[in-house]
Amino acid sequence: MQRRHRRAHTVIWTGIAVVIPIMLIVIFASVPKLPADAPAVRLDATATQGDKQP
Amino acid sequence: MSLSYKPVIWNKTKLIYDAVMLAGIFIYILIFLRLGPVISSALRDTDLPIQRMRAFGSLALLMLTIVLAIGPLARIDARFVPLLYNRRHFGVMTAITAATHAYYVLGWYFSFSPTPQLTALFTSNTSFTSIAGFPFELFGVFALVILAILAVTSHDFWLSFLTPPVWKAIHMSVYFAYAAVILHVALGALIDRRDLALAFLSLGGLATLCVLHLIAGRRETSADAAASKKAPEAPWVIVGDVSEIAEGRAIIGMAQGGERIAVFRSKGGLSAVSNICSHQNGPIGEGKVVIGFITCPWHGYQYRPEDGCSPPPFRERIRKYRLRLEGSSILVDPEPLPLGTKVEPLAILAELSPAAAAPKNGGTV
Repeated sequence: MQRRHRRAHTVIWTGIAVVIPIMLIVIFASVPKLPADAPAVRLDATATQGDKQP
Repeated sequence: MSLSYKPVIWNKTKLIYDAVMLAGIFIYILIFLRLGPVISSALRDTDLPIQRMRAFGSLALLMLTIVLAIGPLARIDARFVPLLYNRRHFGVMTAITAATHAYYVLGWYFSFSPTPQLTALFTSNTSFTSIAGFPFELFGVFALVILAILAVTSHDFWLSFLTPPVWKAIHMSVYFAYAAVILHVALGALIDRRDLALAFLSLGGLATLCVLHLIAGRRETSADAAASKKAPEAPWVIVGDVSEIAEGRAIIGMAQGGERIAVFRSKGGLSAVSNICSHQNGPIGEGKVVIGFITCPWHGYQYRPEDGCSPPPFRERIRKYRLRLEGSSILVDPEPLPLGTKVEPLAILAELSPAAAAPKNGGTV
């Protein structure tokens, strides 16, 4: 491999190793969470199934 | 090596490589679709088209992770070098697998709308100001476009047409495709559902790849920094001792800031050539002399030791370097000679030859 390709590899992977984990932390931290006093809304299969079609 | 365009030059090794790869793909899909619903209740409650898109999506991520691990693994341990041989077929199959995932996604989520499928894909989610709600589909499309371009240009025709440095630069965009895939998975599947297996595959794979690439890069940087010692007379550099090279093998040296030079020992002679294969920049110095030809370890491209040219009718060439012996020390002039320059192998003195039977370090430095 040429010297400049070796350098480019190192730069790119250092960037990925630093930037992507930070982005993932920001993404997962920004997921909306239910407030503590939120009503107990049932969205499971039993509550949403409704009447079966004939 | 080839003289004219051929879609694929098949041989037994390539057939075995591809057969193992296809069998692996088949087994993965079979296990995912048949065993997955039995093990996972979340998968059992989904429709078959969704199971299919998840099967091909996770397989594409797994394949991309493996294909990106092959390079650094081969740099760290030579036992992984055979995996490099047909890595392009692996990459093409990864692109096909990712395209299959996209096909199932379009066919399930966007088929029942009056809007054309692709229009619906790009307009169904416009939460560009949201972080967690950002349209993850765009990252998938970006990665798929890159994978498709790389698959189409993977053939040696494009390598020759674009020249190896340009081709290599284009194909390094696979790293950006991988980053996009990780964001695609994180913003899509990982936020949408708690899937431990997918989290392990994506985040564990990311950590593994970063560690592997950074270790391999650190080794290369250290090797570059430890340039060969300068000889008393410029511009010569001392690359090592004759006794360090096993018959048919090479040691690698370089001038400060320069490219690497491989010095091969074969049939009582020494030959210095560029360490960069003209095919894909493979490390020729880690190869060996096979039936009189210097042979690249990556894809078997061959060059004559005396002039760095491939045997007729092939036309590949690598640069030669001048070398001389001082006692048993090998000195190389780091200024490359014009392509095709013939320099007869430097004869090793008879008193230095017995050491050939017991190289100090297996042939490389």
